[in-house]
Amino acid sequence: MDQVKISRRDLMSVESPGRYVGGEFGSVIKENVIKQLEETGSCREVRCAFCFPDVYEIGMSNLAMQILYKCLNDMEECWCERVFSPWVDMDAVMRKNNIELYSMESKSPLKDFDIVAVTLGYEMCYTNVLQILDLGRIPFRSKDRKENDPIVMCGGPCAYNIEPMADFFDVAMMGEGEELIVEVTKIVKRYKDNGKKDRMELLRELSALEGVYVPCLYEPVYDNGRYKGLKKLDECAPDKIRKRIIKDLDKVPYPTRPVIPNIRIIHDRACLEIFRGCIRGCRFCQAGFIYRPVREKSPDTLCRQGIEIEHNTGYDELGILSLSSSDYTGLKELTDGLLDAFEGRHTSLSLPSLRIDNFALDLMEKVSKTRKSGLTFAPEAGTQRLRDVINKGICEDDIMRSLRLAFSGGWSTVKLYFMLGLPTETMEDVKGIADLAYKIERLYFDVCREQGIKARKPEITVSTSMYIPKPFTPFQWERQNTKEEFLEKQSYLRSLIKSRNIKYIWHDVETSLWESVLARGDRRLCDVIEEGYRKGCFYDAWDDHFKYDVWMETLHEHGLTWEMFARGFDVDDEHLPWEHIDVGVNMSFFRKEREKAYNEQITPPCREKCSGCGAQCFKAGECYAPK
Amino acid sequence: MTRQVHRTEYVVRCLFERVGDASFVGHLDLMHTFDRAVRRAEMPIMYTQGYNPRPMMVFALPLGVGIDTLGDYVDISLSRLVDAEEFMKKVNPNLPSGVRLYGGINIDEPKNSLMSVVTTAMYRIKAPGIRDPLMRLFEKEEIKVEKRSKGKTVETDIRPLLLSGAQKMSSDPDICELYVCAGSVKNLRPDVLLSALCRHEEYDEELAQNAVITRLALFGGEYPRLLDIKGLL
Ligand code: SF4
Ligand code: SF4
Repeated sequence: MDQVKISRRDLMSVESPGRYVGGEFGSVIKENVIKQLEETGSCREVRCAFCFPDVYEIGMSNLAMQILYKCLNDMEECWCERVFSPWVDMDAVMRKNNIELYSMESKSPLKDFDIVAVTLGYEMCYTNVLQILDLGRIPFRSKDRKENDPIVMCGGPCAYNIEPMADFFDVAMMGEGEELIVEVTKIVKRYKDNGKKDRMELLRELSALEGVYVPCLYEPVYDNGRYKGLKKLDECAPDKIRKRIIKDLDKVPYPTRPVIPNIRIIHDRACLEIFRGCIRGCRFCQAGFIYRPVREKSPDTLCRQGIEIEHNTGYDELGILSLSSSDYTGLKELTDGLLDAFEGRHTSLSLPSLRIDNFALDLMEKVSKTRKSGLTFAPEAGTQRLRDVINKGICEDDIMRSLRLAFSGGWSTVKLYFMLGLPTETMEDVKGIADLAYKIERLYFDVCREQGIKARKPEITVSTSMYIPKPFTPFQWERQNTKEEFLEKQSYLRSLIKSRNIKYIWHDVETSLWESVLARGDRRLCDVIEEGYRKGCFYDAWDDHFKYDVWMETLHEHGLTWEMFARGFDVDDEHLPWEHIDVGVNMSFFRKEREKAYNEQITPPCREKCSGCGAQCFKAGECYAPK
Repeated sequence: MTRQVHRTEYVVRCLFERVGDASFVGHLDLMHTFDRAVRRAEMPIMYTQGYNPRPMMVFALPLGVGIDTLGDYVDISLSRLVDAEEFMKKVNPNLPSGVRLYGGINIDEPKNSLMSVVTTAMYRIKAPGIRDPLMRLFEKEEIKVEKRSKGKTVETDIRPLLLSGAQKMSSDPDICELYVCAGSVKNLRPDVLLSALCRHEEYDEELAQNAVITRLALFGGEYPRLLDIKGLL
């Protein structure tokens, strides 16, 4: 068995060498496979390398990776190992010394695997996918790979518009992977059993699985630089690819024995996913649409899994995860059950994405080790008008009522998240952000006076990010704000926030400009991404490494401009690069929602009233719950 | 350092080894790893009082990244009596590969913290032809090394921190075993020793950086009358 060796000196020369050595508790070593590899140089099992295109500490915090690692390793006919992007320093060491990228478990070269599966959580990791292929000595383009090269696959939220990366992947998997990845692996197993004869035939066979998109079976059509949809190159290719979901989350395997990193990672805690999807449908939010319909796990299952995972991992924190945990119907039952079970064990619960209300404040008192940490609100827009446009069902009264409670309870730190550049936004809306912050400041001192609490210096943080129109949202056709517009809005807001109690945090505009190109781009970007990578771009998600000028220059060299992607699409007569993917929610629903947005009309959450978005086609979850 | 309050009678003092890939984990991370392993084993570890309770675990001497150990010590405070053998049997399967407890004993909470009793460490350094030049360092009057502190570079003499070579010198010229000062008062880090070797004996930097360093044992007492740490309570 080939193993990649790295000298002590090389390991000691990089930051956090623990990232590169493996050996973690809970990592899966299949001795029977190793034995075959050592004896014969090959094995019957499918070898899968699950790659995360960012550093170890981020990848290891990713729940999807732990879930699919378990699903694959539960299969007798597969051994799944992990691979991460080496950080910039290690990348340089590997290039200099001609070291191949290897897996954490067996230290095998990446190119020895049958499947290389990449999870794509954010667009800015695309160049790191190329880094992984490059260091792994795997040809970049699907068309250049031979029968014995690994099958390169992807999944995750970015797979829904994989066009900008389409040439690099043999297979893209749509939706939730627990079942699909097992089906795919079984087919690859047959391909391997038969001596890996016809790669194209394998891809054709895979394309017949629901949820599998094989980009090379299609070709984009353009007319005068306008995208005109995909043309099928093979009769067997499906017209539409529908995402997969897990109907009953209580029945799907959950990693209660995850891999426990030996070094500190971003979210160093056990995770319990309580439901998928979101009932709310904020119009800017891709997650709110692509994960439809809402499916909850039962409090019983969750309590059992939560206790199991706390015992199995030894973590002293259990994160309760979902898009919006306050909407979980069994939240009280679940948290009571877990708090009971963890009594005296020095384990705390953490509930990010909790809406602040009485219940939440009470819970926060009970669960958190360091009391009175900051409160977080995401009104997203500064005025009620704009909040109606984006269907953010949170009004000023709600915020003020919650904060009154919180301030009375002794809290004094508040974080507010907003977006700039939302459709229909005016300077009046931008000003609304500052107004809201000032109202909150006043409220703090009012509450202190009324209740005879000694006022401290409240800390109110306003944070704005740049709105990026995303596929599969009602705003997928919208124009993105220009750099100048964003900067003008930022500096206007800066000029309005003068109080010492209010801090304004803004973000780099340029990364958002590039992200928006990737988010709604098409296959013309494949060449651009490859060339940007060759010019030294990677780790684009890290501000220090992001090279805006290189990207803009490379776009131009390929006869493309930022405007071509940022201008958006004509609602009625233009093709969208992701129109061949079906997430369950209909295009007609998105159009209707867009119209309602412009009319400042809100749409109620799924639980209140079904709006017939289309996701009922999955015959599961909230769509079939009694209203 | 003596403790103010006697908190528990149930401390397990264990030797541990850490070898191979696990050695590339920093000291803080290693502490977390132990903490989680003990929790997974459902051993009744005690926590410090106060705002931010920490598991009560004391390590004899921080272990640098990249350094193997065959004989480090850790004291773990428990809220009830668990036989040391039983403790190790439960915890060992919960440690990541390369880390293992052995030779544990049950003690009462020691008066002197484990950290304060360590005075000496024995290291084995393995690299091509390293034995003789390393031993030649012992013949020197002084061994200057550059040390950076508060942004300034200062020269210090590490000769007083070098105690002696092993009683039975290795017959292999690639292996050197030696005693150096260790602990919270006087401490010589092996990487500092190796950089001195490169500077004063012109030993090859690359070979030094690839040297396999193993901490073989820790002792208390005053050299040459070294004491077994197990008995230093
Ligand atoms: S509440 Fe709104 S923003 Fe949050 S996940 Fe749901 S739809 Fe998205
Ligand atoms: S079909 Fe109705 S209930 Fe189901 S996700 Fe769509 S709007 Fe919600």
